[in-house]
Amino acid sequence: MTEAKAALTDDHAELYDTLVARRYFAKFDQISTHLSRVAAELEGEGRLTRTETRVLGRYVTALALTFRALSWKYLMTGRDVGTGRLTFDRHESGFPVAQELMVMAVDAAQATKHLAGMASEAELKDRMVRQIVGDLAVPTKLQFALSQRLYYEALALGGLFLSRNDPDVQWIEDIADRRHYLVHWAVYDTQTNLPVVYLLNLHDSGRKPLPNDDRRWPQAQAHLMAQSLDGLKLLTIAKGFDTDFPDLHPKRLRRIHLGPMYSHSFTLQSGPISDVLSTARAPAGMDWALVWTIEDLVAERVEEVKDGWFSTVERQIYTLDPFAGKGAETGATRTDRMVILPERPYQALAELNPPGFRDVRKFVVGANGRILPQR
Amino acid sequence: MADFDAQIRESQEQVAAAQAKMAEITTRIEAARGRLDQGESAIDIENATLQDVQKQADLMNANIAELIMGLDDVTAGFSAEFQEMRSKTGMESLVGFFSSAKSESMRQERLRAATIDDKLQDLIAKSDVIVRLLQGQLDSLNVQKGRVEANLTATLDEREGVVASLESTRGDIAAMDPQIIQLENKISVEQDAAARTRLETDLATLNTRHNALVQDEQVLLAKSQTLERYIEKGKTWVDSLQNQAATQLVLINKLQTDTKQRVVLYDALTSSLKTAQQQDVAHRINEIGVQTDQEAQAAMAAIGVATNDRMAQMLESHEDHMVFARQVLEAKAKADERFARRFAAIVEKHDKNAYGD
Repeated sequence: MTEAKAALTDDHAELYDTLVARRYFAKFDQISTHLSRVAAELEGEGRLTRTETRVLGRYVTALALTFRALSWKYLMTGRDVGTGRLTFDRHESGFPVAQELMVMAVDAAQATKHLAGMASEAELKDRMVRQIVGDLAVPTKLQFALSQRLYYEALALGGLFLSRNDPDVQWIEDIADRRHYLVHWAVYDTQTNLPVVYLLNLHDSGRKPLPNDDRRWPQAQAHLMAQSLDGLKLLTIAKGFDTDFPDLHPKRLRRIHLGPMYSHSFTLQSGPISDVLSTARAPAGMDWALVWTIEDLVAERVEEVKDGWFSTVERQIYTLDPFAGKGAETGATRTDRMVILPERPYQALAELNPPGFRDVRKFVVGANGRILPQR
Repeated sequence: MADFDAQIRESQEQVAAAQAKMAEITTRIEAARGRLDQGESAIDIENATLQDVQKQADLMNANIAELIMGLDDVTAGFSAEFQEMRSKTGMESLVGFFSSAKSESMRQERLRAATIDDKLQDLIAKSDVIVRLLQGQLDSLNVQKGRVEANLTATLDEREGVVASLESTRGDIAAMDPQIIQLENKISVEQDAAARTRLETDLATLNTRHNALVQDEQVLLAKSQTLERYIEKGKTWVDSLQNQAATQLVLINKLQTDTKQRVVLYDALTSSLKTAQQQDVAHRINEIGVQTDQEAQAAMAAIGVATNDRMAQMLESHEDHMVFARQVLEAKAKADERFARRFAAIVEKHDKNAYGD
């Protein structure tokens, strides 16, 4: 079993030990509180609007809830047979594998059914006390039952970051006879195992407003979800959308990767970040670095293109990074990389000063979780 | 998939039946233990009953193995989907007869909207149902095993006690023999009638005690043998439970590995199909706009390099993909082989489609 899996999914690792699994989730619990602070920081700099920050904040909160639910599910990992193990991607991700979220979606669909058949929290605790006092034994099975109950309760509560979070639309303003919308959606990318948020600024020249249009909106939603692959460049996604919907004009498309998370004790990494983390020798809870990438694609002008014999349609022409030729083709106007890390690893980073980190924005987590932006 | 649902229900019934039988055996073992404490020596767990349970478990496992293979039929739907992504539909071919560009753009549009997410979710949900079924059975096996093992531990302890007292009784008997012989010798040479009577009284007392000890020995021996038989039965049952648990684990592992690999593989394949076919076209279209730009000169140079990079990237990712696909196949072969070893008979029947022979 392990042999076969090792061959297939080399970079997938399982957490066997109870304490290790709990430390892993504690780390993410802490990191997710910093994410919304960084978003607020970007808003202060004018890089994100108030609406965009709020949207992003909602996805970050959802992600934190998902992690909390998973931490209930795997609370008793390694304590008993059949308690399950968390599989996560330890190379260039650090996040749980996408399949964990898919399984969670299946569980969520049956959460109410499971909860109906389970003993209540008070009853389980009462039985635990009885077993501890009466049998002088650790009530592992009851503890597991309670952790599962809390897991299903978290699922029933909702508001989770799922493997696919379908597009939602937010009206921004009217420009002449057109409406300007912010369409946002998020997926948990199955290839890289990272949560990815998409923000699309859209001009709508249709007769009916997009959210009320039963003809276009469901189609547009399905189209965007089907195109949300990490392997596709922003240009490809935007071009395809522009072509398939003649009266929707994608003006700006942003893709935000919330990860990968590097940690010396959990993940395997190559390159400078590996040296930084090993040099830092940070204590538990301080040993991590989270990279956050924003890809941005902006339309620079519009061309009229003939469509059939009698009509014309607008086509957006996008600005591509003029320096893109030097490295890999990004298919975006600009790409910003940011790294969030605690003081110890930042100190190591500043001392080592590895090449390739100069144009990466750094956010340092100070005392009391304060975020200090660094150049 | 009414077929799949029906099969699931059938398996659930068989699991319930197998569990009922198992629980019955464990209860019998426990009841026998209760009677042992009351001094009865008959144990009514016959080998026939154990075999009966074994047969039921085999039937259930065969059914679940069937179910796992049935998943293959579910996944056959995927390959149809992939084939559609690769080829043109009838309408597209017809249009292609007049305008190959229009036909290609129709296909691109279809490809952009294609998704297999709901199919993947369905696959995960179905395999989850089976895993839960197996896990339930495994848990129940472990509970039974735990009960019997706790029982056996106590019994082994008791038998140890019995054997110890048997040993000491035997020691006592052995120690008495020289005393008796000594007394008998004394009696044979004793001339004084009074002394002789006293010695004979002593001998009679010793003999009574000897007989009592011998009787004790018999009782202890019988008890030890009964306990031993009981332990034998219990051990057989634990062995059988352990075997069944191992089977469940093999089934769970096979299923989980299969599902995990399938999800990753199908997803990778879809992603690579969409990426390879669209990226190229999108760049071509955007570059037409850029060509007429005032900064055409700079952009052209950039595109030249970019195109080369893109080609290189595509080739590299293709290689990655091929390596990955090969690894998947190897892993699958391994899991299949393990599965086949365990369920050779069922696989053979399945392959020959020779049910009811």
